[in-house]
Amino acid sequence: MDDKAPLTEGVYYILLALYEPRHGYGIMQYVSELSKGRVHLGPGTVYGAIKSLLKRNWIAPLQGEGRKKEYVITEEGKRAVEAEIARLSELYHNGLLITGGGNKQ
Amino acid sequence: MKKVKYRIFLDYDKEERWINDMAEKGWHLEKFAPGRFVFRKGEPGAYIYRLEFVGNLPKEEKEEYVGILEDSGASIVHESFGWIYAKKPADGGPFELYTDAGSKIAYYNRILNTFLILFLVAIGGAGYNFSLARMTDIEAVPIASGVVCALSAFIIGVQMIKISRKKKKLQESFFE
Repeated sequence: MDDKAPLTEGVYYILLALYEPRHGYGIMQYVSELSKGRVHLGPGTVYGAIKSLLKRNWIAPLQGEGRKKEYVITEEGKRAVEAEIARLSELYHNGLLITGGGNKQ
Repeated sequence: MKKVKYRIFLDYDKEERWINDMAEKGWHLEKFAPGRFVFRKGEPGAYIYRLEFVGNLPKEEKEEYVGILEDSGASIVHESFGWIYAKKPADGGPFELYTDAGSKIAYYNRILNTFLILFLVAIGGAGYNFSLARMTDIEAVPIASGVVCALSAFIIGVQMIKISRKKKKLQESFFE
């Protein structure tokens, strides 16, 4: 992940999941739910993402007693999500503009 | 009923496929020691197996990661030399550790970095032992050690080439 690159689908959803504190498996479950079963993240993918997001301070660990470490998004992480939403919105609107929204009607 | 099979794999993907083929036939891996696989007869296809290298993770991170695996319904059958053998009931949905190309490539890089260190250590060990053999009267021991080191370096090197190829293939698929 470099700073300005688009987020992967997995990283984007992991960041969204961490607007509430969650542990690794909690993230996996929530992302499946949020995407209505479309996106299933593997444990290796989730854990790898947690580590690189920690490194860039987009998420932070919560001080907990339990065996399972919980994480939560930081202000910096939220800014990254907002920037990504702006990018996705541009893609979406330009897509509609050019295609006329497809011919679903 | 149990079945013991002796087999050496140099390619962990092949090993994983073979273990899963056995599971398809109802033979589920129960115990493992290098070269020795113990299977127990059960319902065909009841489990999916995955092999993963975690040898480069610090202890605390490895425990946290194994915790996530276990939370998601998997269990660790065996762990040695930095490799874990995990299984998950097949009725609990798919069992893929890495679900996008980027994280899989990062995983390959992790393996490659660790293997590079092992490779260099093995090369160094071979060089050291062969030079020692020239200096001492009792040559057999350093020569034998040197051969073992050289052989290890060769095996690790082949693995690195194979993993690099898989990585390259994955990188190419990115842009198709």
